[in-house]
Amino acid sequence: MTAIAIEWQGCFDIDFEVYEKGKRLQSLKKHLPGSWRKLLLSLTLLISGLGLLLWPARTLRSDNFVFYFPNSRRIIPLEVIDSVQYLPLLPVLNLVGTLSGLTERRNNLKVAFGDSHIELHDGDPRVRLDKKTLILAAPVRVSNGKWMVPSDFLTTVMARLTSQDVEYQIGTNRVFIGNIKPGSFTLRMEQESSGAKLTFQFTDKVTVHTESANGKWVMFLGDHPIQPLEQSFHFQNPYVSEVRFDDQDGLPKLVITPSAAGLNFYPELSEGGKTLRAEVSKPAPAQPPPQTAKAPPPATPSSTAATAPPVAPGPATGTAAPAGPATPAGPPLPVVALDAGHGGEDNGARSRDGVLEKELVAQLVERVRQALLTTGKFRVIMTRTGDANVTFEQRAVTANVAGAAYFLTFHAGDLGGTSPQVAVYTYQSPGLASPSPEGGANPFFVAWDRIQENHLAQSGKLAQTVEQDLAVLAGVTVDPATAAPERTLRSVNAPAVAIEIGSLSPDVDAGPLTDPAFQLHLSSIVAEALSALQAGGA
Amino acid sequence: MSRRAKIFWIALLVVFAGGLFYLRSLARRVFFEPPAHSDESAKARLSEAVLQSGAGPNETAVLFFPSLSGRGLVAESRPIKWAPSAADRVRQVLLALAEGPSQRLGHPLAAATTVRAVFLTLDGTAYVDLSSDLVSGIYPGIEAESLAVYSIVNSITTNIPAVKRVKILIQGQEVDTLEGHADLTEAIVPDPTLVKGNP
Repeated sequence: MTAIAIEWQGCFDIDFEVYEKGKRLQSLKKHLPGSWRKLLLSLTLLISGLGLLLWPARTLRSDNFVFYFPNSRRIIPLEVIDSVQYLPLLPVLNLVGTLSGLTERRNNLKVAFGDSHIELHDGDPRVRLDKKTLILAAPVRVSNGKWMVPSDFLTTVMARLTSQDVEYQIGTNRVFIGNIKPGSFTLRMEQESSGAKLTFQFTDKVTVHTESANGKWVMFLGDHPIQPLEQSFHFQNPYVSEVRFDDQDGLPKLVITPSAAGLNFYPELSEGGKTLRAEVSKPAPAQPPPQTAKAPPPATPSSTAATAPPVAPGPATGTAAPAGPATPAGPPLPVVALDAGHGGEDNGARSRDGVLEKELVAQLVERVRQALLTTGKFRVIMTRTGDANVTFEQRAVTANVAGAAYFLTFHAGDLGGTSPQVAVYTYQSPGLASPSPEGGANPFFVAWDRIQENHLAQSGKLAQTVEQDLAVLAGVTVDPATAAPERTLRSVNAPAVAIEIGSLSPDVDAGPLTDPAFQLHLSSIVAEALSALQAGGA
Repeated sequence: MSRRAKIFWIALLVVFAGGLFYLRSLARRVFFEPPAHSDESAKARLSEAVLQSGAGPNETAVLFFPSLSGRGLVAESRPIKWAPSAADRVRQVLLALAEGPSQRLGHPLAAATTVRAVFLTLDGTAYVDLSSDLVSGIYPGIEAESLAVYSIVNSITTNIPAVKRVKILIQGQEVDTLEGHADLTEAIVPDPTLVKGNP
């Protein structure tokens, strides 16, 4: 490249000297001024850099390939070359056995793998395995010094190299090696006037943990491997546009893409973890529609498309256009994050009659969710759905990503005295001496994992409001709101309180706490307290 | 000197050098390397250190136990002969808490709890490494767990002024919580506002 550039320079700059004196390139260089040399060098480097940048054009994209084993899973990046999925040969062989020899020549690779010998040629789809010749769907490639084989190598060659079962479905990015029975699922969607219901029927029990990311809902399905019948489902309705299965990071999950922003999503696991029902619905309007005959001026499509909630086609008319006046577009409803403490392997407290804290608080949280939705003033997200292990960080992330306006975590424990009792706590940082009731100091910088320290004042107000409203509960002892180093609250970026009901301990029965009347009453009071706080805040 | 004699002397020299090298490594192992104690022997040494404190004068230790009826800690005083070092005093406080209160109060530590190790740093942080038996004595819940933690922290910092904060480890590991509630991710400073009753 450099030589070409220098020849160019000679032609442009002092070409008359070339013809006049008949000098060759070497002598031309002597006549080039220093600034031109620098320019040439820069141009050369620029062209070389661009060339390097554009060189790997044949590799269009790269994904991961998941190898499921009975007790583990491994991820290997795959390359797509000319629309064919390729896997690196040696890492794949190392997953199922040990290489005993390797001989590489210019276009040829010989691998001793256990008692077998494999021979491959660059650009040739034929693979020699001992004395047999096997033909792959695409030629073997050498990419960036790595020997790459098309993904059907797994069934064509690898299945003969190992005594374990190899289950691979062509076109997918996962293979099951060994005694693994992957689960599967079917999906049914029912559209209703105000929402859509997704019903997932799994062949094996799953646990569900839901997160929100990039405007999508992600439901992690636990550890059991899943081989979906279909990788993705597409819909044309105002609620859900796509449901996609993904396990590129080794974690089976469902990614649900809503058709519009601001929709509510409520997953619920039932039938022992084999049925997952998810409800997607429009949030209820914050205020009842105006009753006067004075209709607002019809909004133009361009002005409503961005903010107005989606309208489901009416079943009677069969048209998508609403018959009445257009609903004025308003700000999105505030999000309340509800956290049911414990879950999965962590049972929490246990009563004398065998009631587990994780189940009791999940029941209570569901009632609070219903009560909050009834007010029509909130959207609700849950940090734990079903009996799942959810870390403290995951709970906080779920609330923070959703931009929660309030965070409530529910627990049950030993409060001493008689049941039922309720106590409300704000966060007390263990590294700070007892904060004032109005909230702790607001330092200029707070570490992200201690972000709750920035909300102590609002959390205190929330706790006081909830506690004051709870005081009207007949027959229930309500302790004054106080601060405690409750771990769940530590990283929540919103006003947050912990509500503990009691007493749930090995010494007492949980009857008063499981009483539906108590739970309903408590739930409605919590919803009213949040509504009052929201109205006051507005 | 004959060729045979040369070979003999060289062989003798090699053997001598090898012997010296072996003796040197043996001496290093015997005199300089600390003996590999088992967990039990380490605990026994710690207990011995605490028991040796019997020679000191009788003083008073103030311990804080969770209240059963109210939300707070109740102080109890008891005579104690302090060990000379601050780390052993921390251990004495923890063992006294594990013994339990004399009044009808809660137990912050199960009686079976073992104090595996205590370390003090120059900034006034005490690292106390407790066995996992600790949690078996704690009543479940936010309040009960928080009071158990502050019972430990307030008792240590009140009796050993050099300690400003306490970091609790379980089985030598950092933990998020004891039983899902009290935040143990950082060293804890005492909270005197929790103390509701005096001895």
